[in-house]
Amino acid sequence: MDSSFFTSYNSLLLWIPALLCGFLSGTTCGTLGAFVVGMRIPFIGICVAHAALAGAVFAALFGLEGQWLMLPALFTSGLTSLLLGVTNPRWIKMDDNVMMSVLFSATMGLAFLGLGLFSVMGRTDGDVRTLLWGSIAFCRWSDVWIMLCVGLLLALFILVFYKELQAILFSREIATASGIRTGAIWGGFLLLTALVFTVSLQSVGGLMVYSLVTNPAAAAFQLTRGTARCILLSAFFGTVSGLGGFLISALTDLPSGAVIVLLSSSIVLVSALWRLGKKR
Amino acid sequence: MTTQAQQSASIVHLSNIKVTLGKRDVLSVDSFTLQEGEICALMGPNGAGKTTFLKLLLGMILKQTGGTVQLFGQTLSPHNQKLLHQLRRRVGYIPQQSLVAGEFPLTVREAVASGCSATIGLFKRLRPEDWRSVDHWLEELGIANLAERCLSEISGGEQRKVMIARAMAQNPRLLLLDEPTANLDMGWREQIIQTIQTLYRRTRMTFILVCHELETVPACCKRVVLINRGKLQADGPLEEVFTPRRIQELYGCRMSLFHRNGRYFAIPDPIPSTSTH
Repeated sequence: MDSSFFTSYNSLLLWIPALLCGFLSGTTCGTLGAFVVGMRIPFIGICVAHAALAGAVFAALFGLEGQWLMLPALFTSGLTSLLLGVTNPRWIKMDDNVMMSVLFSATMGLAFLGLGLFSVMGRTDGDVRTLLWGSIAFCRWSDVWIMLCVGLLLALFILVFYKELQAILFSREIATASGIRTGAIWGGFLLLTALVFTVSLQSVGGLMVYSLVTNPAAAAFQLTRGTARCILLSAFFGTVSGLGGFLISALTDLPSGAVIVLLSSSIVLVSALWRLGKKR
Repeated sequence: MTTQAQQSASIVHLSNIKVTLGKRDVLSVDSFTLQEGEICALMGPNGAGKTTFLKLLLGMILKQTGGTVQLFGQTLSPHNQKLLHQLRRRVGYIPQQSLVAGEFPLTVREAVASGCSATIGLFKRLRPEDWRSVDHWLEELGIANLAERCLSEISGGEQRKVMIARAMAQNPRLLLLDEPTANLDMGWREQIIQTIQTLYRRTRMTFILVCHELETVPACCKRVVLINRGKLQADGPLEEVFTPRRIQELYGCRMSLFHRNGRYFAIPDPIPSTSTH
């Protein structure tokens, strides 16, 4: 990556989609994260991210490319999230976390099996590997529009079901018992989770996207009180991670996905230290 | 035997209930009726079916249930979800678990306000009168000073009060409390019992209170139902139901019972020696 990309007006124009992708993926993942972590389902995020990755890898294996990879990725991630949403692991005498671990390893195994099949079939897997680690630099305007639509959809969902989501955050069991239609809202939320993870594959990568979802929320939880403030702070930390991570990676020629995740992890560390200092 | 008139005025009416989970019958009730304004304690050992009884009233296990469950005079059916949601809005439920919301920085005021969420319906925001009701219950339960604190920053006893305030903000006709004093120290246990007593005296609402210990039954409670192995073993006034023989049958140990200021207490009999010398 050429670190002098900001020097000319024309090259700056070329980087605008990448900058917007960093901004949008950070904001969207940060916003979603407040709920994913608040509802104590970060493991669902990991499973869904890897399911999306597996779907995209197998789609590439069957000859699909570009944005077309997102459709099968959305199908597998949506199916996984709904399966996790409606299945009770206790039916088969299994702990929730054990079931998630099994699914997580299965979806990751599938993704790596797909990657392995590329060499078995004598084909190159260049583009697909970017889905593993992410590369915002390759984002196009079409990616920006897709991400913007998903971000707006998430914002609309939160605005419309704000008080119901708040009740579920307090306790899903009590919310159901008090007559809130938690099944429909829960299902909608899980599908949106799958959608956000799928569209973030390109920018952050399937292996690290869940960090961009959980880290900003984990940091926000340390610093604030109240649902609205927590969501806004989590979205802000996500934006700082997404946009800042991309700028640092562009200036230092380091992989963007890794820099984004490390930046968001640093924000969690600083927030935790701040909280510790405040307690003393 | 329950008459037709009594049945229609009742808050809860169960008849010929059989709950089967897997191949196991977990609850079997021939008939049970609770009138408006009654407070009833449901007692029994671990695994007796007390929580299943509450879940039955909330319509959470209707598919596994045979018989008739009536709430506020209307029959619950798993095929009529709309009615089920409507009826649930009039039932305040306080489950066993103490810590809710985990590490999410939900404030106490927001948690109590979530009680209004179901009653005001979808696509609507909380109105000023809803917030007034929330603040009223915060005051009433003595937790107004905690309003802006996070749930993770308050004690187990305070969390229990938040859950009661949340249920009251729902403006229920029936309150179901599942072991509201579990895992609390003696001071908090008494505070919660007094809170329930005060709420009952002020609202005259219908209460079902699940408890393990005799001493956690508030003095205002005039009816107790003993449940064991999924069957109702006794139902009536405390002075008739609480006998040493019944308590021994229920919990498997001999107890001496004491009665003071409307409350009952049990001490193991014979009292074990505490001498260490």
